[in-house]
Amino acid sequence: MTSGIEALRTDYGSSIATLAGALAAGDEHLFLSELDLLVHRRERTLFSELRKLTGDLQSALDRFSVDSRLVDLAEKEVPDARARLDHVLKMTDEAAHRTMDLVEQCGPLAERTARSAGDITELWTRFRARKIEIDEFRTLIQQLDTFLVASRTDMDKVRGNLTEVLMAQGYQDLSGQIIRGVMKLVAELETALVDLVRLSRTGPHALPMDRPASDGMTRGFGPAVPGVDNGPSASSQSDVDSLLAGLGM
Amino acid sequence: MSKDMKFLVVDDFSTMRRIIKNLLNDLGYQNVQEADDGQTALPILQAGGIEFLVTDWNMPGMPGLDLLKAVRSDPKLAKLPVLMLTAEAKREQIIEAAQAGVNGYVIKPFTAVTLKEKIDKILEQRAA
Repeated sequence: MTSGIEALRTDYGSSIATLAGALAAGDEHLFLSELDLLVHRRERTLFSELRKLTGDLQSALDRFSVDSRLVDLAEKEVPDARARLDHVLKMTDEAAHRTMDLVEQCGPLAERTARSAGDITELWTRFRARKIEIDEFRTLIQQLDTFLVASRTDMDKVRGNLTEVLMAQGYQDLSGQIIRGVMKLVAELETALVDLVRLSRTGPHALPMDRPASDGMTRGFGPAVPGVDNGPSASSQSDVDSLLAGLGM
Repeated sequence: MSKDMKFLVVDDFSTMRRIIKNLLNDLGYQNVQEADDGQTALPILQAGGIEFLVTDWNMPGMPGLDLLKAVRSDPKLAKLPVLMLTAEAKREQIIEAAQAGVNGYVIKPFTAVTLKEKIDKILEQRAA
């Protein structure tokens, strides 16, 4: 308490003495100018306190914004990302099995066509060389009839399977879009953590974090993931068709 | 409906472009050009000659919806048939695409039959 009074005496003693002297001497000009000086000194201290307070408040707000974003990321988006990656795993697994199923179906068909052609070749060669008996010729005709019908059916099936194999590769696009989304989330998480570290280190001078703009409506949201996406989505092509029909298309 | 019809397929994934191109070839359309987003697609369209546009929605650079709007606002391209082929399946997105003037909307994953049906339908409506 004594030291406080001492400090005040040191800071203001001479001003008060000047003021009292000017008042006693009736020097109005000196009194007013000394009073102005005194008031300005008090204001400077006040403003400096106010600046410090504002800085602290800004820092608290920044920290709150980083903290709440981190909470949001940890509570909602990280589990969502896990579900999305699970879905990618499921999709790639299904696509690989689908492709292998189709290839396995094609194998025996191609084999049968090759074997039947091989069976015909011997008689056909003799026929071309005009060294064939009439009974053998009848057998050749029957074999050819069967071969033409069977190979056409088999090759139609192989062709269809090839198209299906092609379609199965669509998983790369869909899973790629999901993985890109998760990569964006990881980058955001990294930024939030870096901001948090920076805030803890430098207090009020920390930079506010950049929030990614929510522009899903223009850019797109990516493929729907079961159990993750909110909001009404069309789950099948027929949903899309009926929605568009409702709009007069 | 000429099989010489010139298609432009726009998708940022080259695998998907190959799939669509192969399917179009299977349908008899051999004249297929490719672009990987709206920004690269637009100059190709503006150069003229493309008669059918198949586009994805979610692409870096210019997304498909913006490409569709750019096409519809260009007097030379305004009537170009546009089929949106995308994983974007939210109701409001489909409605927005319809309002922006899309001619058909197919969601991924799709089948070869669906793609054929939608292209045929769009071309029939054009011919009518």
